[in-house]
Amino acid sequence: MSIPLATAKMTSLTAVAVSLVLSGCVIGNAFRRKEQFFPAVVYICKSNPSMAIMYMQALITVYLLGKLIGKIFFGTLRPAESERLIEKSWYAITETCLAFTIFKDDLSPKFVALFTLLLFLKCFHWLAEDRVDYMERTPVISVLFHIRIWSLLTVLTIADVYFVHDAYITTITKGPSVQLVFGFEYALLITLAMTACTKYVLHGFDVHSDTFWESKAVLLLYLEFFIGLCKAVMYIAFLIIMVKTYTVPLFAFRPMYHTLRNFKKVFQDLVLSRKAIHNMNTLYPDATAQDLQTIENVCIICREDMSAAAAKKLPCNHIFHTSCLRSWFQRHQTCPTCRLDILRPTPITLPSTTVSGPPPTSVPPTVGASTPSSSVSSSNNADANGQGLPGHNQAGNISNFFNNQSPLPYQFRQYAYQQQRTSVDGNNSNTNENLNNSDSQQNNMSESWAEYLNIPGPSFFNVQQSSSSNINFDNRTPFPGNIPFVGGVAIQHPELPADLDTLSHEELYQMEQNTRAACIARLKYVTDIKTMLDAAMVMMNHYSSACLVAGLDSTNSTDSTNESNTKHLDDYEQFESRPSSNSSSETDSSDISNITYELEETDEQRKIRLKRLKKFTTFGNHTI
Amino acid sequence: MAGSALRRLMAEYKQLTLNPPEGIIAGPITEENYFEWEALITGPEGTCFEGGVFPAKLVFPSDYPLSPPKMTFTCEMFHPNIYADGRVCISILHAPGDDPMGYESSSERWSPVQSVEKILLSVISMLAEPNDESGANVDAAKMWRENREEFNKIAEKLVRKTLGIPINP
Repeated sequence: MSIPLATAKMTSLTAVAVSLVLSGCVIGNAFRRKEQFFPAVVYICKSNPSMAIMYMQALITVYLLGKLIGKIFFGTLRPAESERLIEKSWYAITETCLAFTIFKDDLSPKFVALFTLLLFLKCFHWLAEDRVDYMERTPVISVLFHIRIWSLLTVLTIADVYFVHDAYITTITKGPSVQLVFGFEYALLITLAMTACTKYVLHGFDVHSDTFWESKAVLLLYLEFFIGLCKAVMYIAFLIIMVKTYTVPLFAFRPMYHTLRNFKKVFQDLVLSRKAIHNMNTLYPDATAQDLQTIENVCIICREDMSAAAAKKLPCNHIFHTSCLRSWFQRHQTCPTCRLDILRPTPITLPSTTVSGPPPTSVPPTVGASTPSSSVSSSNNADANGQGLPGHNQAGNISNFFNNQSPLPYQFRQYAYQQQRTSVDGNNSNTNENLNNSDSQQNNMSESWAEYLNIPGPSFFNVQQSSSSNINFDNRTPFPGNIPFVGGVAIQHPELPADLDTLSHEELYQMEQNTRAACIARLKYVTDIKTMLDAAMVMMNHYSSACLVAGLDSTNSTDSTNESNTKHLDDYEQFESRPSSNSSSETDSSDISNITYELEETDEQRKIRLKRLKKFTTFGNHTI
Repeated sequence: MAGSALRRLMAEYKQLTLNPPEGIIAGPITEENYFEWEALITGPEGTCFEGGVFPAKLVFPSDYPLSPPKMTFTCEMFHPNIYADGRVCISILHAPGDDPMGYESSSERWSPVQSVEKILLSVISMLAEPNDESGANVDAAKMWRENREEFNKIAEKLVRKTLGIPINP
């Protein structure tokens, strides 16, 4: 409501005063004319204008009475409460007016009075609900508060039950009438009162317990679900009965829609959160004391210190309180920091399986050097990530794409998020943050490279060391930064390169036979390759859209993009110069020295790099 | 034990009092109710709102920080992202899932990682750089885009109003 409360108060005061004066005039006029009580009453009843004024007076008296009772039960209302009350009452009044159109034949002062009573009771229910919720918000709860809530809830429940009973009896004895609506409305109010009671009890327990009550949030969600179910069933039953006996109850549509939508949402929340919490409990490891040392040791959800026993580590390496995560998962099933979707098949075991092969021999020293710091860098990363909000949509789609395939390793996803983050982040004022982030991003990426390079056996990418000059993307490929994505695809395929070297002759011989199993295996590889190609397409699409965003931002944050792009290029160079990993036995010390030589930056390379970068940004601008 | 929302709000209040960011003062209106805050925001330097001190009210839901608070300017404002009644319309204040204007991506939405401080900082940057795609106040958005001078004049008037300086003819 846009009317300020002070003005509203003034108008109601004037209304009361005017109506008092008017009814005084009417009564005075009647007594002056008739001089006796009975004739005066008859006179007033026969004159329509007088009756109108008397009705208005009655309405205002009821209003004042309601205010008085409100004062007794609630004391002074808080501004937020009265705002909500006014808003809800407007809806209720509109719906009541719509209800009148259906029952226009029954319209009599008695029904108007009953509807007014219903409206007031509704108001009290809403206020009671607000007050019970308020328990959670204030550190001081007086005894008076408890007495008020208890008496109020008792009175309301008794009134509701009485009216439902009354409506039931009337409908049974006299057939369906407007009492149907009353019965239904009061039945709904009973559910409201019951919710308030249960919440009151839950909050009461919570306030008096000394420790944090973890399961309260879950209980509240179940309560909401149960009440939603009751309401939905009631509304549908009411709709059916009304359509059969009268007509379509237009006035009930808005609240019915709201109820059904809420119910659907609660139901979804319940199902998804159960799944997410199950995932969390079974798949994700508890944070270790070491994990906690590397970060700030504060749960970013509740801003309190974490102990190793009560904290969980998500696949994206972000650490939170188990209880905080549980309540967040009831709303959204994503990582609060990086919005990683928790419900996709989790890749948590993947890194260990890829590393568990034969010991790597072909890791270039420059890449290997950054691995020891990787765990630290990724947790730094967690902090840096906390400041910005990496994109979720597109990466989420890709992860869906992989749902029935092997899941993406999280390093890649994280990288993808950051990739987008740096581009989205252009309007973030913390450029400093940005730079830090691109630092940790580089570390993180080298981590994923290290992971990749640990995969033994023939590489999927046979990039020869000598071919680094042949692969001259400079002029044709406008995406120098897309290499990590391709690398990501390579990582995500677990079956291709592994184990071929270790096969014995017998096994190889067996594989060459046209046995059914061999055929199936071959076909499987072919489909896998197809999937990978499709995935590459998706990645390219994803990348070009990311490029669009980058192009948009390049006008105001060219510096930061330059910075991070140069870094991508560094990694790309490393990738290019990596020796073919199927020749692992050939890799000797001279090779390694060659690599380091290759990696040293010359002015020439620097120039090429800048050229690529320029291409990249201009391409981004052209596509817009 | 007090609810987690209450404890988090107390922690944020403490944090804001101990290390107040530049240009922001915020805290609960009364210590009895930590879910309604008052904030004073200074207009960012070098913008048309420079020098102004704008009062606002923050109302937190009982499940904070799982749901975002609501923020309303209590003074008169003329800005593309502020409704006529003072409500602030920025994506950080919208929970993922609801999208009143239909243009925000879920990546910019509310998450428990955000805080009062970050909200207020985003509001300051919103004052500095309005997003004229959001039509919270269509007139302001139009004027911002087409008649910047007029917009600056109105903003200056508002700044003077909040400071209590008489408006020069």
